[in-house]
Amino acid sequence: MSADPFLSDPFAAPRAIGGRAPDVMKAGGWLPMKQHDNNEEVDFVVIGTGAGGGPLIARLAEQGFSVIGFDAGAYFRPLEDFASDEIEQQKLYWLDERIIDGANPIRMGGKNSGKAVGGSTVHFAMVSLRFRPEWFKSHSLLGYGADWPLDWREMWDYYARAEKALSISGPVRYPWGPKRPRYPYRAHELNGAAEILARGAEAMGYQWTATPLATVSAPHGDSPPCVYRGFCRFGCSTNAKQSQLVTFIPRGIAAGAEIRDLAMVGRIETGPDGRATGVHYHREGRWRFQKARNVIVAGYAIETPRLLLASANDRYPDGLANSSGLVGKNLMTQSNQAVFGVMDKEVRWNKGPPSLSITEHWNYEDRKDFHGGYCWMAQGPLPVEWATIVAGSRKRWGAPLREEMMRYNHQVGLKMVGEMLPDERNRVTLTDEVDQYGLRIPRITYSWGDNDKALIQHALGEMERSLDLVGAKDIFRQEDDTNHLAGTARMGSDARSSVVNADCRSWDIPNLWICDGSIFPTMGGVNPSLTITAISLRTADRIKALAKRGEL
Amino acid sequence: MKNDRPTGDIATALSLVTGATILGGIVLACRKPHVPVKKPQATVAAARRLNRAAGTLAASVLIDSAIEHYRGNFHNKAMITPLVTASLSLAASLHGTADSKGEAHVIRDLIYAGAGLTGLVGTGFHIFNISKKPGGLSWQNLFYSAPLGAPAAISLSGMLGFLSERLRDSHPDMPPKILGIPAGRVIGVMTSLGLMGTVAESGLLHFRGAYHNPAMYLPVTMPPVAAALLGASALGPIRRHGRLTRWWLRATALLGFAGTGFHAVGVARGMGGWRNWRQNLVDGPPIPAPPSFTGLAMAGLAALALLEDHPDD
Repeated sequence: MSADPFLSDPFAAPRAIGGRAPDVMKAGGWLPMKQHDNNEEVDFVVIGTGAGGGPLIARLAEQGFSVIGFDAGAYFRPLEDFASDEIEQQKLYWLDERIIDGANPIRMGGKNSGKAVGGSTVHFAMVSLRFRPEWFKSHSLLGYGADWPLDWREMWDYYARAEKALSISGPVRYPWGPKRPRYPYRAHELNGAAEILARGAEAMGYQWTATPLATVSAPHGDSPPCVYRGFCRFGCSTNAKQSQLVTFIPRGIAAGAEIRDLAMVGRIETGPDGRATGVHYHREGRWRFQKARNVIVAGYAIETPRLLLASANDRYPDGLANSSGLVGKNLMTQSNQAVFGVMDKEVRWNKGPPSLSITEHWNYEDRKDFHGGYCWMAQGPLPVEWATIVAGSRKRWGAPLREEMMRYNHQVGLKMVGEMLPDERNRVTLTDEVDQYGLRIPRITYSWGDNDKALIQHALGEMERSLDLVGAKDIFRQEDDTNHLAGTARMGSDARSSVVNADCRSWDIPNLWICDGSIFPTMGGVNPSLTITAISLRTADRIKALAKRGEL
Repeated sequence: MKNDRPTGDIATALSLVTGATILGGIVLACRKPHVPVKKPQATVAAARRLNRAAGTLAASVLIDSAIEHYRGNFHNKAMITPLVTASLSLAASLHGTADSKGEAHVIRDLIYAGAGLTGLVGTGFHIFNISKKPGGLSWQNLFYSAPLGAPAAISLSGMLGFLSERLRDSHPDMPPKILGIPAGRVIGVMTSLGLMGTVAESGLLHFRGAYHNPAMYLPVTMPPVAAALLGASALGPIRRHGRLTRWWLRATALLGFAGTGFHAVGVARGMGGWRNWRQNLVDGPPIPAPPSFTGLAMAGLAALALLEDHPDD
């Protein structure tokens, strides 16, 4: 090991400092990085470097703007920092203290938040799906939720750009929705668990396909093809995973952007004219202030409203961008229930990425008695997670738990990603307790609605039928899980009923932007990261157009 | 654990190969031998060149199937078959290359016929493997199940060797013919078809690799031109594009070796590069595969020489 402290501990001190940032593709390597003074008024400060912030940092820098990307998390070096150990990898999650309540409190952690340069994309499961076009107008076309101010045809174009930028490996033909261009890379080989999903879907008469994933199936740049280790919902130690950390962030740095790791933004300052003037952030043991002409918040559905609410001042007593009163409201998560069973044949479900096959049948089929859609995917939880499910959801302990674990290589499962409906009572507020930075801790309140429960029951029934048809035995339902987040700063076409407009620009403060999953008016029945990336790319283009017209 | 290996299919495969080979042997042994006289040296030279081409293909198949079937853990015992037949075909080809006698050799004939059949049976196995997978004959299964086109390579080796023996067996006083057709034309057409099949195989697998390197377009652009030129010469007037065809075939032969170099670079791009050779050699691009283009180009050159030595138009 090197004696260099910057190499050994990503948490000890910031790594992106002194005119350089880690080169994630080379062990011990560095990239030259431009740095700005706190008193220099930069064009853009981006708070958060995940699926929302990453593309903006890169695209804005490439357009010639001065940009600083802040992240509270560490700047990891995948080749050196990621042990193949489920517990060790929890360092990637946002596990800061929160208070959760409501009838169905959301368990915070790996499935819905990340704390690292690259955000949750460092540990996301790489599932890269497009929304069903109708979801962008779900209120007018499907009769629930709210309409987006975006046109699906324009989004189709930005999805294609996002897929290209992330070198998505997907099937030659995607069975659902309007035509889409060919994925940049071919789909990965199916593992045993994915084949069982496929056989089940075929037995039910439903279409299935290999899942489009953000891990390359052939070399790309410095990324080697995926070697199917199966440590995918953690940090990928080979860089096959196309996270923000290995795609847009290095692109941004090459184009002149600065990244500040281990830098927690606690407050956005506004000036006498009501415009944002910069951000207060905590780095290297003290609070600092960075001046900026524009502030983009990209902290996801908990940290984004938390920051906006915590930035309340005399002029904006209810928090920034909150004249509609909607900041923090309409929090959504996705139902992530599962059905598990045992096969006679060995399956080895942990080999390869966990979600190699998918059926979106119920996202595109409207003959059902509830709103919203869902998909389900093949599963491959690693042993610690599996033990947690068996102990927690199935209440096995002691010898029965041990026996259950002995069948690990024969286990199969199907897990849904389901749409939950927006509800103003599901929300993020601030408590009076403070965290390690002295910032007020968020309270996350969540309860499932009747529609959510109906959708979950429908999905559990369908997944159980699918496993039953392929001969799985000892089937049980995991009824308590949720994953991705959205809402809390919804976009819309009216300042009274939304927080930002179609360009992710806040209605109240023209130089304050919000660009992450929190702007979703509805959740959709697919993993949200590709949609966030596509919107982020669109926002970068819109900022360019607005700047050209002098409207920033 | 239940053993779900299709043991019945191994027996079928082996008995098919063995039965057909023995049958072929009997037929060959019963045929009326030509009087062993001194053949025109050019015909024997062409036959030896075909032996060399068959040997190149056999070597490619031997190493490639050894690596790929090792990767498949030899989970079906029949997966050893191509290793045996390719080794035999390689040995027969070495023997033939060194043999300047103007007559067919019954053992070589048997081996080549066996190799040809092995490829056919292997194709059947690979189709069976694909049909078992969910999705059936889909892109996904064509990419990742047993490769549909690969066993044909050993058939091509057997075919070239078999044609070489027919060449040696031809009537001494007349231009060499096979089934009554000038030998150069037969070999030219068959080689041209073989080239196109190999192009299809590499096209499919390079599509799986998303043509991530522009060099991956070479085997789907250069050899088709060679196949077209050779096919045109074999079916039509010979002399029109003789020079061009010869040079294009030579370039294609070189491409086969260059492909090995490209694939070695591809192996280096896997995680850990060549230091991790035990994994990347197996999972990376197949290093022994591209020289099958070399083997076929060599056969094409032999056919071209025959056509030029015995112009029939």
